[in-house]
Amino acid sequence: MAHRVLICDDEVHILRAAEFKLRRAGWEVEVAGDGQEAWEKIQSQPPDIVVTDYQMPRLDGIELIQRMRQHAPTRHVPVVMLTARGFEMSPEELTQRWRVGAVMSKPFSPRELLRQVEQLVGPVHSTSPGSSLPAAPDQPLERTVP
Amino acid sequence: MRTARLLAAAGFVLAGSWVAADMAMLVAGHAAWPWRWLMVGCGLLVAAGSLALWRHLSSRDRRAVEHHLDALVSLDLRQLGQPTALADLPPLPPSSPWRPLAERLRQALAALGEQLQESHQRRAALEARLRRASQEVARARAVLEAISDPVLAVDGAGQVAMANRAARQLLDLDPAATEQRPLQRLSRCQELIDLLIDSSQGTLPAGRSNEVQVADPSGTVRSYRVHCGPLEASTGEQPPAGPGRGGAVAVLRDIGREQELRKRNAEFVSAVSHEMKTPLAGIKAYVELLAEGEAEEEQTREEFLRVIDGQADRLQRLIDNLLCLARIEAGVVEVNKKNGSLNEVLEEGVRVVQPAADAKSIHLDVQLSPLYLGVHADRDMLLQAAINLLSNAIKYTPEGGRVTIRSRLADDHVVFEIEDTGVGLDPEDCRRIFDKFYRVQKNHRMASGTGLGLPLARHIVEDVHGGRLTVHSVPGQGSTFAVTLPKSHNPGT
Repeated sequence: MAHRVLICDDEVHILRAAEFKLRRAGWEVEVAGDGQEAWEKIQSQPPDIVVTDYQMPRLDGIELIQRMRQHAPTRHVPVVMLTARGFEMSPEELTQRWRVGAVMSKPFSPRELLRQVEQLVGPVHSTSPGSSLPAAPDQPLERTVP
Repeated sequence: MRTARLLAAAGFVLAGSWVAADMAMLVAGHAAWPWRWLMVGCGLLVAAGSLALWRHLSSRDRRAVEHHLDALVSLDLRQLGQPTALADLPPLPPSSPWRPLAERLRQALAALGEQLQESHQRRAALEARLRRASQEVARARAVLEAISDPVLAVDGAGQVAMANRAARQLLDLDPAATEQRPLQRLSRCQELIDLLIDSSQGTLPAGRSNEVQVADPSGTVRSYRVHCGPLEASTGEQPPAGPGRGGAVAVLRDIGREQELRKRNAEFVSAVSHEMKTPLAGIKAYVELLAEGEAEEEQTREEFLRVIDGQADRLQRLIDNLLCLARIEAGVVEVNKKNGSLNEVLEEGVRVVQPAADAKSIHLDVQLSPLYLGVHADRDMLLQAAINLLSNAIKYTPEGGRVTIRSRLADDHVVFEIEDTGVGLDPEDCRRIFDKFYRVQKNHRMASGTGLGLPLARHIVEDVHGGRLTVHSVPGQGSTFAVTLPKSHNPGT
């Protein structure tokens, strides 16, 4: 069974590029146009990994992650954050406080995004999805990508 | 006169001798009685006449001296120094024995008069300098009072020596009792007090500036940059030796505005960066997908190329907007005004924003006047202003809402209004919404933006076209932006 990824961004063309790359790599892709829509989809069916933008209408990326970390079924779901913002929040804070697996700055490379996602969850054809999850819930998941 | 005196004296002596000789002759019996007595009588008459002459001469001399001295002492002391003051005195007889004394007296008075005159001149000069100094002090005080930055001086004893109007208002000081108020009794500004004490004790490097927080009488905490220095140094005097002996002066500069500007500039840079990175991200991602041969189908490749093209246009628009605003602000924009129809410009604006309205299911209600509304305007710039206002209304109106655009004639003006059923603005936001880079914090998440659209619209309407752009809003119900422009009478160019 293919891994499920939820991609959340208010820019349609970003969603489309990320979706295209991951789908071609064999991922089952779900998309959301803002944090609120993503949260509703996550609640109904938790994905294996979430790729989210930072600044979005209705519910931003941080609030989305906050809700995920307080919700038992999604507490350990890895997150990749895509952001065009420069200095509101440091990557260290994102990884340590919110346990974000990787932070990628826009403009981003779809190839690099796929690599990060596979590093956090494992390739689509790996036998044990989520094998790269941390042992302890509060431990930072992965190093950041500048 | 001297001769007359000698004659009188000689006459008196001769007559006396004559009388004495005749009396002797009478006693000796050498002459007949009647003749001798006649001679004695004549001698006595001559003696009496000589005596009367002597007394007359003496009396006239005394009167001349008295008159001279009276005139001398009656002189105005302030005129004694003048060369002609003593020239008009009544003359003394040359033979008067008082003449040398009167002369010495006159010389003494003349010297006194000169000293008095000199003293008067010095006094007048001092009075003039005092007047000038008083005027300079009054002018300096007026300048100090007019300075909008608070200025506060303390003496070596820690008393407030001077506070200008801004300082009195900030520190809530009573103007009548400002001076000689102990520094330590000032409240709400402990950091400032510490600085002044350090400066007056010489423990603060001269000219060093520090940032302090001071709460104004309303309780609002304001940030100030304080320049402190010894008070004596500013007056050119040498400070007294020993700690705590000199005073200090502090000039406070409100840096709240500066800090706000820095913050807004940082926010602007962040917003511009975000706005630029977003289309750039699209371009880079799709170029990579194409370059790596991910898009195998022709249709997909065409779709990706269209996205790249669209995102490049978006980037171009953002840069144009920034440049346009910068040019208008710098006053170097080229304006090409022609007479034309306002409704045509608005219709084109509606066509441009229609896709954005459709994407949010917002109903664009177009209610343009059936009349020809002529404006003398730069068509492209006016269209930019209309698009910015319409885009703003669409951005901050929730899905399913309504944006109405209407135009009308109003006396010598034409008016167009853009009304939305959006989130609305509170009075503070209405006041600041046209400030460059200002974004309403509570609506920040509704849409991305640089905070440039509305300032640019206002520049175009007011600075370029001499019109007026106003906003009326009810929080939670919506906003109406109204543009008033001068009407042009001739259609066409």
